[in-house]
Amino acid sequence: MPVVAAAVCPHPPLLVPEVASGAAAELDELRAACLAAVDLLATADQVLVIGSAAGDASYGSTAGGSFGPYGAPSVRLGIGEPVLPLSLAIGGWLLEQSKAVHMPRSYRAVPVDAAPADCVQLGKEIAQGNDRIGLLVMGDGAPRRSEHSPVHLHPLAEAFDSTVANAFAAADADVLAALDPELAAELQAAGRAPWQVLAGALGRLQGELLYDAAPYGVGYFVASFS
Amino acid sequence: MTALRLGQRTFGVGEFAVMAIVNRTPDSFYDRGATYAADAAYAAIDQAVADGADLVDIGGVKAGYGEPVSEDEELRRTVDFVAGIRERHPSLVISVDTYRSGVARRVVEAGADLLNDTWSGSDPDLVYAAAEFGAGLVCSHVGGLSPRTDPHRMAYDDVVEDVIRTTTGLAERAVAAGVRRDGILIDPTHDFGKNTLQSLELTRRLDELAATGWPVLVAVSNKDFIGETLELPPGQRGNGTLAALSISAWLGARVFRVHDVPAARQALDLIAVLRGTAQPAGTRRSLA
Repeated sequence: MPVVAAAVCPHPPLLVPEVASGAAAELDELRAACLAAVDLLATADQVLVIGSAAGDASYGSTAGGSFGPYGAPSVRLGIGEPVLPLSLAIGGWLLEQSKAVHMPRSYRAVPVDAAPADCVQLGKEIAQGNDRIGLLVMGDGAPRRSEHSPVHLHPLAEAFDSTVANAFAAADADVLAALDPELAAELQAAGRAPWQVLAGALGRLQGELLYDAAPYGVGYFVASFS
Repeated sequence: MTALRLGQRTFGVGEFAVMAIVNRTPDSFYDRGATYAADAAYAAIDQAVADGADLVDIGGVKAGYGEPVSEDEELRRTVDFVAGIRERHPSLVISVDTYRSGVARRVVEAGADLLNDTWSGSDPDLVYAAAEFGAGLVCSHVGGLSPRTDPHRMAYDDVVEDVIRTTTGLAERAVAAGVRRDGILIDPTHDFGKNTLQSLELTRRLDELAATGWPVLVAVSNKDFIGETLELPPGQRGNGTLAALSISAWLGARVFRVHDVPAARQALDLIAVLRGTAQPAGTRRSLA
């Protein structure tokens, strides 16, 4: 049983208090849910953070990340040049705040437009290793949930996000694996590819949905699998 | 750094020009349709001129997300109005805020002196309207966004550097297309394609934009970066607007797009004296 625990978290820059400034408290509940899910990864021997980005890439434990591009240069992680894309930088930042802070860690970026079968295959490969891995899966729902969303309201956004949330609650790998990449792209749901990696790695883990809301019109989910 | 020539006016280095916003829209964020009707719009122009505006900026389409406005409808809202203003105020500099080359051409024909291309060259043909008729052009930065869309997680290694590269690139392209060099302005375009921290950074480092030598226009009036900084709704951002405007002026901005003309004029008149480019109106205190 190489993937012994998994957590799903969203990756808005707003999650980082220094980015949100005085609005930080608005996401206290989300941040707490994320940390509760990430803390459970401490039962594994090492953590692999997975998130979407423009292209495929792997990074080591000390890879650098910075929130300077979002206006908060004081918030950094790792060492050296910031190379981590947003999804992985938020994942790394969450690990820094969690009980899993001292665990060996690596990062894997999957292309936002990766084919579902490739994502599922990657998940299976991760699960076939000998190491006891805690998987931190970073992904957002649709930023098109309301009239005040950052991206214009899309009539299918809410239904798509509910499908995802229900799949997390039921740990239903089949539903996650079957998410339509074209619809996800239209809805700009950044989590589709990483969630499909999770689908390939879930095995018999049971799911618990800890957070499901769209406070700024962007779908955020937190789920824990053990 | 050189003089800026728009319509019949020339604005020398050290001179601050106030651009009054008059929207022919039913839904813009600040005025909410106050000057959508022609009578109210003409009255607003007359008032702006009386209050000391050097330019007026006419908009026919709300900047943010909203009801689609066809090119015909935008033309209906702007062309006759521009011609009417030209008739009433022969030397007033008329700017039109549009991203469509078809609209640009028609308003310049009707008498507009400046094209405020707020969506950063999204219609690459817009420059030719300015070039052909000798109008000026505002070169903006929106971080690659499409017209009327909101920013979502915009990221810049250095937002100021990105703004300088984009706006000066557009300015050079405009010159190559035949636009008068002395009619071109660059605008960092606060809030457009930026989060609040990025707009604040641009304001703080506006001197770097001014150092390019291109005249800088700033449009900070009542924007969200001021509202988010002070936690205030659009109707209560006037004082914050003046602070951002004053800092921008001190750091080298030359044209100021505003809702409240008298307040801007007063602040800028004082800053001109502080900078030594103008004299006090009268200094009698303790001198008699």
